Amino acid sequence: MRYRVRHTTTYAYSDPVVLCQNQARLSPQTMPGQTRLEFSLEINPVPAIRRPWTDAFGNEVWYFSVESPHHQLEVTGRSLVDRHVQPLPNPSETPPWETVRGGLASGRELADRFASQFRFESPFIVELPEARQYALVSFTPNRPVVEAAIDLTRRIFEEFDYSPATTSVSTPTREVFQTRRGVCQDFAHLQITCLRTLGLAARYVSGYLVTEPPPGKPKLIGADASHAWLAVYCPGWGWIDLDPTNNVIPQEKHVTVGWGRDYGDICPIAGVFTGGGRQAMTVAVDVTPVASGAA
Amino acid sequence: MTDNASPADLADTRFTDYATDGFYDEMFFADGQPRPRAELLAWRLKTLSPGELAKRQRAADQALLNMGITFNVYGHEAGTEKIWPFDLVPRILESDEWQRIEAGLRQRIKALNLFIDDMYHDQKIIRDGVFPEYMVKSSKNFLKQCVGLNPPKGIWCHITGTDLVRDTDGTVYVLEDNLRCPSGVSYVLENREVMKRTFPQVFDGLSILPVEDYPEQLLKMLQYIAPPTEDEPTVVVLTPGIFNSAYFEHCFLAQQMGVELVQGSDLVVSNGFVHMRTTRGLQRVDVIYRRIDDEFLDPLTFRPDSALGVPGLMDVYRAGRVALANAPGTGIADDKAVYAYVPAMIKYYLGEEISLPNVPTWLCADDEQREYVLKNIEKLVVKPANESGGYGIMVGPRATPEQHQQYRELIVSNPRNYVAQPTLALSRVPTLVGDHLEGRHVDLRPYILYGEDIYILPGGLTRVALVKGSLVVNSSQGGGSKDTWVLKNGTPRISDFLASQG
Repeated sequence: MRYRVRHTTTYAYSDPVVLCQNQARLSPQTMPGQTRLEFSLEINPVPAIRRPWTDAFGNEVWYFSVESPHHQLEVTGRSLVDRHVQPLPNPSETPPWETVRGGLASGRELADRFASQFRFESPFIVELPEARQYALVSFTPNRPVVEAAIDLTRRIFEEFDYSPATTSVSTPTREVFQTRRGVCQDFAHLQITCLRTLGLAARYVSGYLVTEPPPGKPKLIGADASHAWLAVYCPGWGWIDLDPTNNVIPQEKHVTVGWGRDYGDICPIAGVFTGGGRQAMTVAVDVTPVASGAA
Repeated sequence: MTDNASPADLADTRFTDYATDGFYDEMFFADGQPRPRAELLAWRLKTLSPGELAKRQRAADQALLNMGITFNVYGHEAGTEKIWPFDLVPRILESDEWQRIEAGLRQRIKALNLFIDDMYHDQKIIRDGVFPEYMVKSSKNFLKQCVGLNPPKGIWCHITGTDLVRDTDGTVYVLEDNLRCPSGVSYVLENREVMKRTFPQVFDGLSILPVEDYPEQLLKMLQYIAPPTEDEPTVVVLTPGIFNSAYFEHCFLAQQMGVELVQGSDLVVSNGFVHMRTTRGLQRVDVIYRRIDDEFLDPLTFRPDSALGVPGLMDVYRAGRVALANAPGTGIADDKAVYAYVPAMIKYYLGEEISLPNVPTWLCADDEQREYVLKNIEKLVVKPANESGGYGIMVGPRATPEQHQQYRELIVSNPRNYVAQPTLALSRVPTLVGDHLEGRHVDLRPYILYGEDIYILPGGLTRVALVKGSLVVNSSQGGGSKDTWVLKNGTPRISDFLASQG
């Protein structure tokens, strides 16, 4: 499938902002199963400086600064992406999770070594005894790693309520465990916490989910949203994406922007500004399928 | 007079009951005879009139108070500013020994710099199986934001303070490396100044290497790492502000170098460069000697809640348009578990054997080594891997059984974060206690500047544990300091000096 993605973030301020410095992570990755064909970044007002660089995880980051007084800042990322179905391992034939853990810890294989940076605590992912207990229900002794991870994804989907407005970006996983509710970000962090406490490598994935309009209705512009899921590392295969919010293995309907240890490494726009007073932010995302030939 | 000055006479009333056994004393041999390097000083102290030393000490204390030489202690509510105790009896190093120490420090700092650069690039030392990967992946001091950075001239650790200690047999060991924002150098300069003012006669007849040109050397190094500019590069000292424990030093160094002392709010990134707000508008800044921790440098790249830093600073740095000293990310080599691998690093990067030895270190992350530590905890010093300033250290022989148990639990719950070392019997230097002298334990922190050349401040900061028997010398934990002398041109014999006086 080929998609056009438009991701617009608008900040409105009650007082003028005289200077702002920002980092945008909106440019989709090219990876197995996904090719980025085009990307452009439109910023209003026009920034004094804009520069791309690649972060430690391979994500393209755009730094920009707006240095003239403004009441509104609008940042739009536009991309054209090809998404293919990737072959997946037969979950029951993947190696036992304890073997995977051992391989990651020993670091003998080069590919494992790169993945092993996603085994440790990070700002949003801290060790939690209840996460370990919760994970062990799926990760029974010698169970194949992907089979167990898929089971864990299913349980999170079934046992936690999707509940927007109850959490913020910084909701600690401990709290999500108590209330049993959250949003996609929380479920991704929760499953990553579970996997890492077992010694497995798990990374946070930021991207978009293509939504289907109700039958007979046209798709609404801007109805889509940023989405988040995670990936678990399986030696010999690489990263297997898992979406606990929807209990699916992301394939054609998920467009990946990038990844990191947690949300903090790949948040779409981060900024620091001077002035501004009260502020309001709105986000609009469209992911539109296009015919391959018509692009 | 000359006849009276035989060494036997030196251990006289001033050093009555002065204990020299059981530890290496920097001034005396175990039998009470002064070491050659300290003969003249011991004789001078001996020939002072009664009460003279205490009087000079009071004068020195008063001078320090007048000069406003202070530091802050975190966790103490009343009066954050304190005068750092200074003891008038100096610590002396011979020139031969100092040259060996210098050579060892040069070797060490070169290897550490190559290690940091390797960590943020190809990690060859890991691929070659010399350094374990989990050590870096699990280190809080390994900053993802610094991967791929290329600091100017390939130098990461521009300013290092390396702590040395001397054990009972006289061997000098490296205890730890401070590669983030090492402090204390201002005390070295001020101690010498106070010493000269209040006790000038002790310098008579001795050739001591000067320390006064440190600010000049520091400025030279900072200018060397500047990005290309048309004019002389603009250097600033960036401080977190008056509540920082080393604020005095930040002011002192800025003033001595003749550069601006700024806070984060004085700097602004605009048009792709860092600027300083001045009464004449914005002025471009080329080099920042920053005394702010990495995590607070730039809220856009590191902690978003930092109000101390400069938003966008790291982007300018990445583009090579400003230099930072030290480079962000050096903390990876400052980790006390990583320390254990320094001998291996020296061999790997330089093909040399370590010349200034490390203290043997047990890594609690290793199953066997951890077992040893848990069984022998009452004999060992246990340190958290990522702390500095003496916080969180447990000295086994001086701790209670409850503390031993508490540390066993801490280690088991987070083995990666703890290392243990044997309890070294730190050497002692006579120190004024009331009206007499007693031995107190000391360490030594030389300061190393890595620019076009490697410059090492002669001597460095001698910190002294003022509490009897204590081995913790940190200023935040009841330590004081002493002037440190590195003798030039060999050791003057007392007989020569006295002969020259006629």
